[in-house]
Amino acid sequence: MAVTNQLGIDPDKYKWGFHDPEKYVYKSRKGLDREIVEMISSMKDEPEWMRAYRLHSLEHFQQRPLPTWGANLAQIDFNDIYYYLKPTEKKQRSWDEVPENIKNTFEKLGIPEAERKFLAGAGAQYESESVYHNLKEEWEKLGVIFLDTDSALREHPDIVREYFGTVVPPEDNKLASLNSAVWSGGSFVYVPEGVHVDIPLQAYFRINAQNMGQFERTLIICEPGSYVHYVEGCTAPIYTTDSLHSAVVEIIVKEGARCRYTTIQNWSTNTYNLVTKRAVAYRDATMEWVDGNLGSKLTMKYPSVFMVEPGAKAEILSVAFAGRGQHQDPGGKVIHAAPHTQSVVVSKSIAKDGGRAGYRGLVKIYPGAKGSKSAVRCDALILDDRSRSDTYPTMEIDEQDVSITHEATVSKVSDEQLFYLMSRGIKGDEAMNMIVRGFVEPIVKELPLEYAVELNRLIALEMEGSVG
Amino acid sequence: MSEQIGQMARAGELTRDAVLALSARHAEPAWMRAFRLAAWEAFERLPWPAASDEEWRRTDPGVFRLEGARPGGEASGGALPADLQRAAAAWEAPAGLLVQRNSLTVRASLDGDLARRGIVFTDLHTALREHPDLLRQHFMTACVKPEETKFRALHAALWTGGAVLYIPEGVEVTRPLVSLTWIDADGLDIFPHTLVIAGRGSTATLITAAVSPPGELPVFSDSVAEVMLADGAQVRLVTLQEWGRNVVEVGIIRSILARDTTLRSLLVGLGGRVVKTNVESVLDGSGATSEMLGLVFGDDRQHFDLHTVQEHRAMHTLSDLLYKNAVKDRARSIFSGLIRVHYGAQKTNAFQANRNLILSEGAKADSIPNLEIMANDLRCTHGSATSRLNEEHLFYLMSRGLTREQAMQMVVEGFFAELLDRVPLEHLRSRLQREIEQKMVA
Repeated sequence: MAVTNQLGIDPDKYKWGFHDPEKYVYKSRKGLDREIVEMISSMKDEPEWMRAYRLHSLEHFQQRPLPTWGANLAQIDFNDIYYYLKPTEKKQRSWDEVPENIKNTFEKLGIPEAERKFLAGAGAQYESESVYHNLKEEWEKLGVIFLDTDSALREHPDIVREYFGTVVPPEDNKLASLNSAVWSGGSFVYVPEGVHVDIPLQAYFRINAQNMGQFERTLIICEPGSYVHYVEGCTAPIYTTDSLHSAVVEIIVKEGARCRYTTIQNWSTNTYNLVTKRAVAYRDATMEWVDGNLGSKLTMKYPSVFMVEPGAKAEILSVAFAGRGQHQDPGGKVIHAAPHTQSVVVSKSIAKDGGRAGYRGLVKIYPGAKGSKSAVRCDALILDDRSRSDTYPTMEIDEQDVSITHEATVSKVSDEQLFYLMSRGIKGDEAMNMIVRGFVEPIVKELPLEYAVELNRLIALEMEGSVG
Repeated sequence: MSEQIGQMARAGELTRDAVLALSARHAEPAWMRAFRLAAWEAFERLPWPAASDEEWRRTDPGVFRLEGARPGGEASGGALPADLQRAAAAWEAPAGLLVQRNSLTVRASLDGDLARRGIVFTDLHTALREHPDLLRQHFMTACVKPEETKFRALHAALWTGGAVLYIPEGVEVTRPLVSLTWIDADGLDIFPHTLVIAGRGSTATLITAAVSPPGELPVFSDSVAEVMLADGAQVRLVTLQEWGRNVVEVGIIRSILARDTTLRSLLVGLGGRVVKTNVESVLDGSGATSEMLGLVFGDDRQHFDLHTVQEHRAMHTLSDLLYKNAVKDRARSIFSGLIRVHYGAQKTNAFQANRNLILSEGAKADSIPNLEIMANDLRCTHGSATSRLNEEHLFYLMSRGLTREQAMQMVVEGFFAELLDRVPLEHLRSRLQREIEQKMVA
C-alpha cells in the first residue's frame, strides 16, 4: 500500500525506508525526568559517578533555553520521545547469534558485505544499544579497544572516567546536556601509543522505533603517534512523525597522532539531527573530519577542532545536500589556541526542490597563536529557483602574525556545461548528475571506496528527474 | 511654560518632556510633535539590546547607556572656533555647504543656480518649515523606521539639526555638496540625520563629515542616514567619520535603489572610541547597482563594529562591496556583512570582499561574511582575508633606503590605495592619505 506522509515521500519507494516490526524486550515510557534518567543508569548497572553525571546533566538541560540562532527547534517536543530502549537482554558476541530480523536489516544496508571486505571490527548499533560487536584478533593484540561505550564503561572504567566529558562538557549546549543525561551506545575507541590502525573502524547506527530518540556517545582516544580512521554511517527508515538524533562525539588526539572521522549521514527526512562533535589536537597532531549530510529533516552539526599545542592541524571537509523539506545547516569550527597551528575547511553544499543547505563556521585565533594559518572555502550549488543557500562563516582573529583566508561562491549549473555534455550524447539527467558529482568530487575522493560509491549512488538517487 | 520645559531638558534628562520641549523650541507642526512622541513611546517600549543578541555579541550595548544625557541643539555663542573655520574651509568650492555646530546650523550656502533649479540643501528644521510635504512623505517613513530598534526610535524622538538633500527630477549636480557636523560641547547627545531624495534621473555627490576636536566628557551620537534613489538616479555618498575619542556612536546608513539607479558609497571610519555602524543597500528595482566601499583604520583602543547588508530584491541587480580595515595598537575591527538574494531576484551579481590588516600585537579583526541566497541564476562570491604586514615587503622597501616606519607607512598606503583609487574625488583622496599617515605616526 502506498502511503504518502506529510513530507510527500512515498515510503514504498524509498529504497532504505524498510523497517522491521517492533520487538523489544523492554520499552521505556516517553518523556524525560529524574526517574527516567535514574532508570537508564540502573538498567545499565552504572557506577555512581556516571549516575551523578547524568543527573547533573539533566538539571542543566532543564534550565538551559533552546538556542535562538540557526534553525527553529521549537517544534521538537522533548516529552514525546523515548529516551531509552533495549533491544535484547544480552550482548551478542558472534554474527551467528545476532537475531534474524536485525540481521535482515543489516543485510539490506549492506553491512555483511562491508564486514567481509573491509572491517577490522564493527559495532553496529541497533536501537539504543549495540547488539553486535566484532573485534578482529589482530587489533586486540595491538591493544586497540573498540567497544560500544556502555561496554567500555564496564570493562575499562578508568579510561572512560579519565576522558568522558572532558572535550564536550555537559554544560556545553542544551543538546549536549541532553545527550549527557540519557546517552546510550556509541563507540569507544582507544588506540595505544604508536599503533597504526590501517583499516577503518566502522559503526552503523539506526533508528527504528517511532518517536524514538537516539543518543549515542562516542569517545576516541589516540595516544601519541597513533593513527585511526573511524567511519560512522547511518541510514534510517521512514516514519511519519519526527524523531531526534542527538549524539556527542569526543576525540582526543595526542602528540603526533592522527585521527580521521568520516560520517555519511542519511537519516530519513523526518529526523532532527543535532550533534555535537569535537576534537582536541595536541602537539603536531592532526584531526580530520569528513562529514557528508544527505538525510534528515534538519541537521545542525559543527565538527570542531581545538588546536591546543603547537603544530596541531585540522581539516574539515563537508558535503551537504538538501532536497525537498530539508534544511542542512552543517559547518565546522577551528580554534587556534597555540602557535603554528593550521586548518583547512572545505564545504560544498547543494540545494534542490526547495531545500536549504549551507555552511556555518568559526575560525578563532587566540592571542599568541603566532604563525597560524587558516583557509576556508565554501561553494554552493543551487539547482532551482525555489531553493536556498546560506553561508555564515565567522572569523575572530586576535593575533597579528597569521594568515587567514575565506572564500565562497554560489552558482548554478550553467546551461553551457549542460549543453556541452548533452552535445556529446549524454542525457540531461545524467549530465546534471555528472556536474553535481564533479562539484562534490574533492570531498568524495577522500572517502573510503565503498562510501564514495554509496555517496555517489545517493546523490544520483536525489538527482533523479532534476532536468526536464 | 515652554521656557520652563526647555530648562528641565537642559538640566540633563531624556524624558517625554524633553521631547516636547525640543518640538516646542523649534515650533514644529503638530504632526512632527506627534511623530516624535510616538517614537518616544516606541523607545520606551523596545527592549535594550542584550549582549546575547547576535548583532550585539561583539559590541557591549552598555557603552551606549544614556545616563545623564543631554540632547543637543544648544546655541554656543560667539565666533566660530578656528578649528571649525578651517574644517569648513577645507572643502574646495563645494556646490553647497552646510555646517552645524552642536546640532545648530552655523553656516549654509548653496550655489544660486542650483537653488533656482529646485535643489533643497538645508537642515531638517528649515526643511520642515519650507518643505513640510517633502519631510512628511520621506522622513523615517519608508527607508529607516523608528520602531526598528531602540536607538532608531530614540533618534526619531530627539533628532536635531540634520541635513536634507533633495534633487529634482533630471537635475545634475557635478560639484560635491558638503554637510559638516561639528561637536565641541562635552557630554552631549546628538542625533544627526541625513535625508537624501534623488529624483528620477538626477545626479549628485554628497559628502557628510562628522568632526569633533578632542574632548573630555563622553558624547553619544545616534545617527541615521536615509538615501532614496528614484528610477535612473545616480548618487555618490561619502560618509566621513572623524569624531574625537570621547565620542561613541551607533548609526545606520540605509539606501533604497529603484530601477536603473547607481549608488556609489564610501564609508570612512577613523575617529570615535566605540563606533557601531550599519550600512545597508536595498536593491529594489531591476538594473540597480550599488558600490559599497569601506575604509576603517583603528588605533589605540578604538572599536569599530561594521555591519553591511546587500539586499537584492529585484532581478538584474549588482552589488559590489569592498571593506578594508586596518587595526593598530589595541584597536578592534569587526566586519559582518550579509548578502541576501530574495526569491525571484535572478540574474543577480553580488560580490563582497573584506580585507583586514593587523598592524600590532594586541589588535583584533573579526570577519563574518554571510550569504543567504534564494535564487539560483546568479553570480555571488565573497572573500575575506586577514593578515599582518608582510615582512618581505618591508624588507624590500628598507633595502631601498627607507626606515621601517616609512616602509610600514608605504605598505599601509598601498593597502588602502585599492579603495581610494575607486573614488574619483582628488581632494578627498589626498585628505584621507594625510589622515592615514597621521594615524601611522600616532
